Amino acid sequence: MPRQLSRYLVLVLSFATTLFGAEDSPSNHRVSNGLVALYDFSENGGNIVKDRSGVGKPLDLQIADIDAVQRAAASLVVKRETTIRSAEPAAKIIDAVRRSEAITIEAWIVPANSKQSGPARIVSLSASANGRNFTLGQDEDHFDVRFRTTKTNTNGIPSVASPKKSLKTSLTHVVYVRNRSGQAKLFIDGKQNGGQTVAGSLSNWQSNHPLSIANEVNKGRPWLGTLHLVAIYSRSLSPEEIKRNFVAGSQGNYDPKAYAAAQLAARNRTAFETRVAALISNHCLECHDSRNKKGGLDLSKKNSALAGGDTGKAIVPGKLSDSLLWESIVSGEMPKERTPLSDAEKKQLRDWIEGGATWSLNVIDPATYAHSGQANDVWVQRLTVTEYIETVRSAVGVDIAKEAREILPKDLRADGFSNTAYNLNIDLKHVEAYAQLAETTVARMDALKFAKRFSKSENLSTDATMRDFVAAMGKWLLRGPLDDREVTAYCGIPTTVASAGEDYETAVSYLIEAMLQSPKFIYRIETQRGDGSAWQVGNYELASRLSYIIWGGPPDKQLMRAADDGKLDRNGVQQQVTRMLNDPRAIERSKRFIFDWLDLGRLDNLQPNEEKFPNWTKPLATEMREETLAFFTEVAWTQKRPLAELLNAQVTIVSPRLARHYGLAAEGDGNQKYDLSATPGRGGVLTHGSVLTVGGDEASMVTRGLFVLHDLLRGVVKDPPPCVDTRPVPTKEGLTQRGIAEQRIANANCGGCHAKFEPLAFGLEKFDGIGAYRDLDHYGNQLRDDGEILFPGAAKSIPYKNSAELMTLLATSDRIAESLTWKVTQFALGRPLVAADASIVAKIHESAQADGGTYSSLITAIVTSDLVQTTRTENTQ
Amino acid sequence: MTSPRINRRTMLRSVGAATIGLPLLEEMIGSTALGAAANEVPVRSFNVFFGLGIPAPLQTEGFDGVLEPLKPLSDKLLIMRNVDQVRCDESGINAHYDGASGAFTAEPPDGEARAGGPSIDQVVRKTHYPDGLPSGMVPTLMGGTFFRRSRVGRYVHSYNQNGTVAATIQERPRDLFERVFGMISGSDGTDAEKRQFKRSVLDSVVEQYQFFTGANSPLGSASKARVADHLERIREYEQRAYEMKASPKGAPGLPPRSKLAHGGPADPGGQGIDMPLDDLTAEWRLLADLYALAVQLDRVRFGSLTFLAAGERLRVKGDYKYDGRTIWQFDDAKQLNASGDQGCSHEWWHKFNEKKKNEQLRAHAHMKMREVAYFLHRLNGPDAMETNGRTILENSLITISTESGDGRHNDVKRELSGVFHAITGANGHFKTGQIMDVGAEGIDVYNTMLAGMGSKDRLGPKDREFKSIDGIRA
Repeated sequence: MPRQLSRYLVLVLSFATTLFGAEDSPSNHRVSNGLVALYDFSENGGNIVKDRSGVGKPLDLQIADIDAVQRAAASLVVKRETTIRSAEPAAKIIDAVRRSEAITIEAWIVPANSKQSGPARIVSLSASANGRNFTLGQDEDHFDVRFRTTKTNTNGIPSVASPKKSLKTSLTHVVYVRNRSGQAKLFIDGKQNGGQTVAGSLSNWQSNHPLSIANEVNKGRPWLGTLHLVAIYSRSLSPEEIKRNFVAGSQGNYDPKAYAAAQLAARNRTAFETRVAALISNHCLECHDSRNKKGGLDLSKKNSALAGGDTGKAIVPGKLSDSLLWESIVSGEMPKERTPLSDAEKKQLRDWIEGGATWSLNVIDPATYAHSGQANDVWVQRLTVTEYIETVRSAVGVDIAKEAREILPKDLRADGFSNTAYNLNIDLKHVEAYAQLAETTVARMDALKFAKRFSKSENLSTDATMRDFVAAMGKWLLRGPLDDREVTAYCGIPTTVASAGEDYETAVSYLIEAMLQSPKFIYRIETQRGDGSAWQVGNYELASRLSYIIWGGPPDKQLMRAADDGKLDRNGVQQQVTRMLNDPRAIERSKRFIFDWLDLGRLDNLQPNEEKFPNWTKPLATEMREETLAFFTEVAWTQKRPLAELLNAQVTIVSPRLARHYGLAAEGDGNQKYDLSATPGRGGVLTHGSVLTVGGDEASMVTRGLFVLHDLLRGVVKDPPPCVDTRPVPTKEGLTQRGIAEQRIANANCGGCHAKFEPLAFGLEKFDGIGAYRDLDHYGNQLRDDGEILFPGAAKSIPYKNSAELMTLLATSDRIAESLTWKVTQFALGRPLVAADASIVAKIHESAQADGGTYSSLITAIVTSDLVQTTRTENTQ
Repeated sequence: MTSPRINRRTMLRSVGAATIGLPLLEEMIGSTALGAAANEVPVRSFNVFFGLGIPAPLQTEGFDGVLEPLKPLSDKLLIMRNVDQVRCDESGINAHYDGASGAFTAEPPDGEARAGGPSIDQVVRKTHYPDGLPSGMVPTLMGGTFFRRSRVGRYVHSYNQNGTVAATIQERPRDLFERVFGMISGSDGTDAEKRQFKRSVLDSVVEQYQFFTGANSPLGSASKARVADHLERIREYEQRAYEMKASPKGAPGLPPRSKLAHGGPADPGGQGIDMPLDDLTAEWRLLADLYALAVQLDRVRFGSLTFLAAGERLRVKGDYKYDGRTIWQFDDAKQLNASGDQGCSHEWWHKFNEKKKNEQLRAHAHMKMREVAYFLHRLNGPDAMETNGRTILENSLITISTESGDGRHNDVKRELSGVFHAITGANGHFKTGQIMDVGAEGIDVYNTMLAGMGSKDRLGPKDREFKSIDGIRA
């Protein structure tokens, strides 16, 4: 680590590591991801040892007796006993490690001798000689680490020790890591040298301990020697990372110039990917993308953007005055007939060009920047109505679906899904409904039988077993351990019941009723306050994330046990996910995704014109929805095919009525599976009535095309330009919907955008407004299903001869597969994705595709990604 | 009209079984203010939205044109022309939604279900009631009759500081009634012991919500605000369940069930629905009566009322009469010679042409002004007189606006310019009795209104220079 490493530098590098992955960091740099505290002893004098991690509020240490130490070159020699400790509790370390249940304690030291013992405290987070969260110490000729969990005593014993005679009195790199599964290891000079399991959770970590080095906090366990570096991470570094820190050396082994360059590069990449690309996307790509390329300029890709257009170089790195892009913007010439760039945007663009115009993306995808305004929000997720029903069912075994759907307000769709957290508001009706539903649920339960799962005692006394019972039942119902405050609060209920002379069963009933209305039941409460960076989520939080993403309900016993035992590391998660995906609840949850994504709830309200569609009946709409859900189940779960094949799978499952509507020979009663490989036009979700009806009675090319563009291809188009009549044009004899669309595309004012989406619907023209197949429209005009498709970002359209070819083009396109990754990820997270998520989503996509591109592989990739394993925190330090 | 006017004392003696108890209505009527001192006029702010707008050229006709129904209230209103909301345009989304989301916020939307910032009523609320409204009041009441619901910005018109929806909109008269006057069912039982246990349950629930809104909450600010909102609703629930007395024998019943489509069936895939004029106006008036009564009884001081969503799609049919004369015979589908969405009144706005008569558009706009005026009159009658000698209408800040100044999507600058606005005097803070060409951005007009209401908060970007439109201030 370089001496005097600035806080800002670490932050930048930390962000860069998160953004680009640890593997992108130079191999001779120290690992910064997960760093919480860092001491490099580079002060020239004084009694303060500065925390140089740059993470949160600095946790500086005070040297009590300055004469007991001696400052040396980037090190501190402890000559005799003193205390070197933080004045305040080490809250940032305690909070971060308690959440992650993992830690790395690292030190570069030279012990003064091999006799000191106690163990002598090298680094300690403790309150006294007998109470600690952890201590890295020296016990004569070996290292000894005490680490407190629920399975150790309050002193962190049993401890983990290195072998006898493993300690030298020369410069030594010692590292202790403990992961979330409880595996603890000691490394000396980059090599493992001891280890064992330290089981249990960190829920009993004390929050008032200061950090001390070279002694116990209240003296009595001095360690003498030279300190070169002490670092604490809130995660367990891998052996490769430990090796890297060892190679970097006691003084970091850094080249300040290389660091400065890395800093600048990281800053430029961030600026480009989150701001400059966004403004190019929003202001320029409507005309200057690969397809339209007005003036010969394509600003969507690096090479074409730097090559420039017909009039010369648009961007000249480092030379603002030579960059025509800048000139056209400041002169007001561009964006043409659109909102000009704001002053802030102009400054971003100017800084970027002057700074060398770093271009770190393959292509600027406008869809990535559609939600750029919401990047910093972190919203608690209220359970949706469906999740609430499943949570009650899983938690207490009562089916409350009918009543809940009746009295809970509906969850409204926002950004394409009904589980978008920011829109899950609360109203008086919710409060009343939750109270009523809790009462109804309890009335249907055998409260005593339920209570026996948590306590054999039926004693109402809070001095006896009631507190334990409340804690145990609360942990199950509220999806994680209760703290003392919560247990005490809930114990007020049995106390009230007891004082009225009522019995244990009454108390249990009201307790359950209260817990079913708790914010920890109604919401998915997580720790969101931190230092502004991404933190590892806690075990119970992760368990809930997994279960709600995969099942739409709470963790089951096995998942809770895994959280209890700290077995939710990456391998543990993988095992749980495999198990959970084999549960029918996973299928139901995935159907909810399809329901929301394709807005299948819309079918309940269809009212096609009776004169135009005399054969339409209400049940047909229901059967259309059932078709799509059954089709999805068949493709994704029964046949386990890649999700993209939803677009062209030659199979469907329909009722006899819907089969007749589609022109199929109806077979048997109830829903039947049909092979569509010999049925022209029909095959794939786009040919379902549930989707085709999106175009309204007139089977609008615009609406259908925009649906394909937005919901399947994640494409973006802008408003119609000025002076264009946007009223729908009716068909007539000699003029089909396609003919009208072709006129629009040929129109210079409309074609730029309409060419991007209307041809996507050409292949659907033979389906009328309610999805029936025909060759002629009601004016007798011959219909066609050939056309061409322009994938977002592509320069040229690809022709197709008929609907079936269109479906195959879609099913085999990377864009569709990628869009499905984005949509499923958005649904899993319950929030729109933003530019900062893009690099992680790309990794999810890559991983899922490598694993077959199925729903299961995609869900697995999502829940093992940083989007689920970590949480964005709000800086409150 | 099929629905007679309902006044504050008789309004609920209508049909419908008393399935839900009422708090002591007479008590509320006797005491017009739950929180205000008897001689104190409370600060109130409401947003009144109507769908589809009034094209700017028609606004120049003053009360001789579509604004005629507002004429009897002209001395209580400041009608503002030439208000520009172009900044509310968000590229890629049609201006129905942008304009509606910008009404009362002056900002483009932020996502599908969020405004770009708070609405006027909520800023005033925060200014004057930073610690919440007096116990028993509905903090924000949103009501409205609307059908098109593809995005909430089309019909929601009260937004929190962070742009999220400020309350659940009540679209059925019965829902709005229950929201304002309803008691929690079952809470008025006589089993004292059970009530005590329920009370204990509620105490524990409140304690949990308090923790997650307190200093030691693990939640971030947005989440905390959401849970705080939940806690506020619990407080309200608590008050209704345990503090209000049981309804007296013979208490009035609920309003009748709505005859109109609501929820999903109201918007069949954007295709529009058939709408008899009498059914529509009957429901509007019932909702207006209920809302006005809630204001008169001081149960509500902030919120919004929506008269049709932005870009509303209705095929209206029926004779429209005003002041004894027939204005127009609505039959949109037939007159447009189309079905589905293309047969809806919405199309008259897209067909607007300054050089033509625009008879259908005029009739629709005139009819909506009649209904807006109906609501305003409810706050201006003898029942609405306050201790300072002014009516609630005069004492409140009521902002009336819409989604666009022109119905043609093809030019955002034209569509979002000249957006109709009218405000009331807010107890002497703003001029009234005028039709004024303000020639300013909506954001400056709104911020001037906020300044006039004593608020230091401003809408829009922080670094934007505030241009006070002094001409509107009294």
